[in-house]
Amino acid sequence: MIACHDLAFHSGHRYRCKVRRIMLRAAAVALLSAMCWAQDARPGGTNHVIVIKRLQFNPPQTTVKPGDTVEWKNDDIFSHTVTAENGSFDSGLIDPGHSWQMRFTDTRAVAYHCRPHPNMKGTLIVQGVENAAQGNGAMLKWSPPRTPQEFHPILVNFTAALLPLAFLSDVLGRIFRRHSFHHAAWWMALYAAVITPLTAAAGWWWKLNGGSDLPAKLITVHQWLGTASVGLFVILAIWRWRIQKRDGAPSISYLTFAAIVVLALVYQGSLGGRMAFGN
Amino acid sequence: MRIRKYYFAVFTSAVLIATGSVTAHAQAPTDPQIAGIVQTANQIDINQAKLALKRTSNPQVKEFANQMISDHTNLEKSVNDLAKKLGVTPEDSPTSKQLKQQAAEETKKLTSLHGEAFDKEYASHEVAFHQAVIEAAKTTLIPNAKNAELKSALEGAAPLLQGHLEHAQQLEQTLGSK
Repeated sequence: MIACHDLAFHSGHRYRCKVRRIMLRAAAVALLSAMCWAQDARPGGTNHVIVIKRLQFNPPQTTVKPGDTVEWKNDDIFSHTVTAENGSFDSGLIDPGHSWQMRFTDTRAVAYHCRPHPNMKGTLIVQGVENAAQGNGAMLKWSPPRTPQEFHPILVNFTAALLPLAFLSDVLGRIFRRHSFHHAAWWMALYAAVITPLTAAAGWWWKLNGGSDLPAKLITVHQWLGTASVGLFVILAIWRWRIQKRDGAPSISYLTFAAIVVLALVYQGSLGGRMAFGN
Repeated sequence: MRIRKYYFAVFTSAVLIATGSVTAHAQAPTDPQIAGIVQTANQIDINQAKLALKRTSNPQVKEFANQMISDHTNLEKSVNDLAKKLGVTPEDSPTSKQLKQQAAEETKKLTSLHGEAFDKEYASHEVAFHQAVIEAAKTTLIPNAKNAELKSALEGAAPLLQGHLEHAQQLEQTLGSK
């Protein structure tokens, strides 16, 4: 900081210092927000117990809300599984006297069965959806986000909007030879690099906290592509910062790299959508 | 499909004729004979599943065979515990003898097969076997059981057999579509 003041007469250096200060502040805000969210995160939700006995799920229909925990207790003399019809979860064999539980995150009713005994069937009905269908507007009521299942989709909107817009703004800047487009692109690339680690952190939080019911293959690709995207976004922002420092227009190689990252982001978004809404 | 119908007919005839449901002069099975029939059917399915585990390399067939061993071993244990509690000693009967004879023929046939042919034969046999046992339990064993607890236990086993039948049908369909 002292060095910055000493060299304040140098306008280029002053600009770099300003950017550095902004980035530090943005990182501090992001860190503080993440800490607040982590403190705020309560497990919450209700626990539901479904007893498996005499080759039946009892009760066969259970009304749950997203964030609730559902436990299947095997009181039968045979091993059973709890397997979602839509493939979103599978308990594996639950031996007699053992239990299996999961955090319910779906927003739609899920029918399930026992794999070794396909005649054993059950359904998890989503309370919010049921209430909305009854027209009481329960789903429209605002409540502050507390779970990763709420944070991740909120944050993902920023990531999904900022980077493609940064790319588009740079392309328009080149076409119309307007510097203001390039300035906007730089800021958006910076915001995307700051917010995307938080989006990824919320995703990992979801995975580690009740994400066992998510489709295994999809989640593996989604989580690692998301983690890699954080690195790519940071590289892109640094690259973009160097271009901005020269006050020039981005090169074709930068735009090509940005286009590849945008395509990866589109694919990543489609995987997320598939998990949230099915095929 | 034709093979499955053939097996179903053979097994059902064997079980029904031997239990006397289609022969007016034959006597209905007693409770010890019913316990013996259930024990025999359990043992047959366990032995054939063990054979399948030795001969197959298909993971779905292995999973099914493991399930048959686990479920029928648990069922056998519960039948034995109940028989002991009721003071019933399982007895041989024409049905159990006929079941054993049919099983020996099927085992001989399965032993001569390999690979996909074995898997398909085993799946078809399991479908037919469970269909026949469900039919026999419904029409002969449950109506003739004198002891209320034995009758209730047989009724309680019906969903298990139905579950095995549906699983075997799924397996047969998967193997047939390959």
